Amino acid sequence: MPRHIIRLLLLMAAFGGAAYAAMAFFTADSFYKYGHYRGNSVAEIASDKPKYKGATYCDSCHAERFAEWSKGVHNRPDRGKVLVGCETCHGAAGGRDTTGMFQHAASGADHPNNLKLAVPAEPAKLCTHCHERIVGRPAQQPQIVVADHAGTQQCTVCHNAHSPRLGLVVAAAPASSRSDASVGKVKAVMCTGCHGADGVSENLPGPSLAGQKESYLVEALTAYSTGARSNPMMNAAAQAVSIEDSANIAAYFAGLKCESTLNHEKQVASAAQATVSKCIACHGANGISANRSWPNLVGLSKNYLIDALRAYREGARKNAIMAGIVSNLSDAHIEEAAAYYANTTCR
Amino acid sequence: METEEQLEKQQRERRNFLSCLGSAVACGAAAVMAGTVLSRATAAVRAAVTGGPTRPAIPGYDWTKHRWAFGVDATKCIGCLRCVEACKRENDVPADAHHFRTWVERYVYLEGEETARVDSQADPVNIAASGSEGEYRFADRYKDAKVEKAFFVPKLCNQCTNPACVQVCPTGATYRTEDGVVLIDHAYCIGCQYCVQACPYGARYFNAEKGVSDKCTWCYHRITKGLQPACVEVCPVGARIFGDREDPQSPINQFIRDNQVQVLKRETGNSPNVFYVGIDKEVS
Amino acid sequence: MEPLFHAAPFTGYVYPNETIIAWTALIVVYPYLTGLVAGAFTISSLYQVFGFRQLRPVAHFALLVSLSCMIVVPLPLLLHLGHPERAFNAMITPHATSAFAIFSYAAAFYVSLLILETWFVFRPYIVHQAQHRQGVLGSLYRVLSLGSYDLSEKAMRYDRKWIFALAIIGIPGAHGLHGYVGFVFGSLKSREWWSSDLMPAIFLFSAIISGTALVIVLYVLSCKLRKIPIDLSCLKVMAYALWGFMMFTLLLEGVEFASLVYRGREGTQVIMEYVQGRLIVPFFILQFGIGSVLPIATITFLIWRGINGKALIAGVTASALLVLLAVLMMRWNVVIGGQEIAKTGKGLLAYHPPILGREGLLAAASVLIAPFVLLLVMIRLFPPWEQEPSAAVPASAR
Repeated sequence: MPRHIIRLLLLMAAFGGAAYAAMAFFTADSFYKYGHYRGNSVAEIASDKPKYKGATYCDSCHAERFAEWSKGVHNRPDRGKVLVGCETCHGAAGGRDTTGMFQHAASGADHPNNLKLAVPAEPAKLCTHCHERIVGRPAQQPQIVVADHAGTQQCTVCHNAHSPRLGLVVAAAPASSRSDASVGKVKAVMCTGCHGADGVSENLPGPSLAGQKESYLVEALTAYSTGARSNPMMNAAAQAVSIEDSANIAAYFAGLKCESTLNHEKQVASAAQATVSKCIACHGANGISANRSWPNLVGLSKNYLIDALRAYREGARKNAIMAGIVSNLSDAHIEEAAAYYANTTCR
Repeated sequence: METEEQLEKQQRERRNFLSCLGSAVACGAAAVMAGTVLSRATAAVRAAVTGGPTRPAIPGYDWTKHRWAFGVDATKCIGCLRCVEACKRENDVPADAHHFRTWVERYVYLEGEETARVDSQADPVNIAASGSEGEYRFADRYKDAKVEKAFFVPKLCNQCTNPACVQVCPTGATYRTEDGVVLIDHAYCIGCQYCVQACPYGARYFNAEKGVSDKCTWCYHRITKGLQPACVEVCPVGARIFGDREDPQSPINQFIRDNQVQVLKRETGNSPNVFYVGIDKEVS
Repeated sequence: MEPLFHAAPFTGYVYPNETIIAWTALIVVYPYLTGLVAGAFTISSLYQVFGFRQLRPVAHFALLVSLSCMIVVPLPLLLHLGHPERAFNAMITPHATSAFAIFSYAAAFYVSLLILETWFVFRPYIVHQAQHRQGVLGSLYRVLSLGSYDLSEKAMRYDRKWIFALAIIGIPGAHGLHGYVGFVFGSLKSREWWSSDLMPAIFLFSAIISGTALVIVLYVLSCKLRKIPIDLSCLKVMAYALWGFMMFTLLLEGVEFASLVYRGREGTQVIMEYVQGRLIVPFFILQFGIGSVLPIATITFLIWRGINGKALIAGVTASALLVLLAVLMMRWNVVIGGQEIAKTGKGLLAYHPPILGREGLLAAASVLIAPFVLLLVMIRLFPPWEQEPSAAVPASAR
């Protein structure tokens, strides 16, 4: 065979050998161990640290919140598994927030070690992910039309995010079916001096009580008797009333027919729409509240309403929900709102 | 002065020397080849005989004892997209609207129309409604229309038993584990994206930052620790179900037992392992 | 800074991950180049194996064209990979079920074959240069000669046998190399536009016509540059080859499309929307009309009327240029077109290629030009014109 052919063959053999040796040398150690892949990669992938820890992880430091949440509607694993865990709204206990939706945006380290708890900056943005009424959502999901429900208010103004169902946690003294309005009428005689006969007070010191929410009245009396709500006259009066009597008195007044206050400022009502949009969600457009714990505003005088709003604004009257709403209201707005509700008519 | 004979002798000797050299090289090459073949063979034999570690070194986890599967109840999904966000956080998925390990589709049948209108997180209208590419929300775009029927369908990697993606991978960077999850070795993938093309479900994407292909792994790093995948953990309404088919009481076995389930694109022969309840004629 | 990815706008519904087009202009250029390799080699083999003596003027030149293109073939792939430094993983641990892994070996085999064939064909020249050249080039030739200046009758006989054997092996080699590209697309279940048993055949025959067309164009060009007359019989044989293979290619493509439409599987409606919309210019006008029908009509006319001389040269060259365009458009319409039709069967995307960047049009154009730059170097090193092509024609054909 000619020399060049021999040399060519040798060269090819050497190249082939070198290629094969390279192949053997560069093959990763754990390759072919379990199949056609690098066996070590399975354990490598499995060793990543989980970032979502589950709700029970938060319990160790945030026990009261966790307890609140456990009893609320966001934790109903039995009922078709409704479970809105802590991390669903607060983000993973470990790991980054990439959405920018949170204050204290996490940057890689775990929450308890390095970072503050991520708190949603705009609850409305978060809650509406699940609760906005959009086409396609199954009917069993509680949904609202945002604009009609609360306008531009944040959800947390009225709802406790950890236990959002209203009335479950709020009402301390539910209207008892054992309350007796006829008994209450007898006991309420001493109230008429300030609150008017039949609970309608035109120019008397106290506000009209006729047709007011029974539950609210009980709560008010309780608050006066403990001093949580401060008014010299009412503090004394409430302490003279027993719990049973409070219920009966409340039942009596709730059953009375409310009467609209006289108001000559009808033209104010229409201008106040923007201001009262915040109030309407809870107190209704016509002054009748959606919830038995929230007072009706219909039948109350403008001055009483102004005083009440100012008291909430200054903190003389304490209520978490009201404080949030009225904290930024100017005097002019307060007057507008008061005028609006003073102008509502009883039905 | 050398004679012709002497020159010829010199040439012959040179030739002999060179051919000896050549043979030596050839022998060397052959030896190298033989050596490597032998070493590979002995390694294989050694492994078979001693039985070494036959499963991956995952603490407290034996992959021969599990067979994972996933269920989706499309009648429950409310399209809140917490799963999409949780997955991105848990797995460092690129925070934009074009790379997803899991996503949710919305099917809407308007009155008088026979085909569904479908949209998902990459739709510009939904991106606008969410505020940015890193946030996810369905726009309320059909609120003024007459809607006959509408529902949401979550999607994710089906972890097929006969995966087309594994079949086409040139290097063996993607593979199926013994417990039924298709994984990707990010240290070995060359980023050719053949697997991205091969998947009929659109479950894979290319992570340009890392230069490798990527996809849902059913949060393998979580399920091997007894946790659930992040999307299942976070779903508020129980639309996603996960479990071990080896465990008769697992949620997934109950789900399959209690419902008439189906899979997507059965005709491809991939044998997917995500079982759907409540999807509709047009969902694929 | 160039963004990491470009999202494609879409109509209808597409899977969110599909909005990033994975295979771009580089993956259009890659099958185009391998096609040129296969086609140019076919021309060379028609001389070496099938005894078409008229092709003697271009036989060795076609080999160099094939080799130049083959050397550049890995470049678009490496540019496209997320981890080009790991590219050899496909050879170190080839996954036997993957067409890409088989390609890495087929390509390695084929480039070796081309190098060997070129070496044997040009060995007399190499030996001559080794003995007479000085300097760096001289050393290069001496290394290439493997230290043997044997040009005896016995040695040349061995050489001829090797050339013949390599040419014979090279035909299925080249066709397998490019047919597999068709298999890469045709074997996938995920896209109706790609999934077809005919894909390997379509890619192969369009490859042959592109390679033939390229050799025609380059041959005419080189004759003009060297100021020598064009061998008309050579040109005619190439024109016949082009014409014949074009008809068959059109037939295959037509059958494939007809089958797709006739089967009417899910998603065909969207495909028809695409074909009658965005695809009109790249497909009907460029690939089909200007790129296929016009060249076939032109060459038919030339053959029918027995036209010769300058008119023949002009007609054939123009047709060849159009065919080159048509095959490029075919690669574009398959690769990009396939990705513009969503896997959902419910939507379409619109790919807008970037100009700059790794996946940009400029990069793709540079890769397309590279083989010609390399060819210029090759022609200097191994002049295909100056020597008579070695008579490797089998005795039976003499």
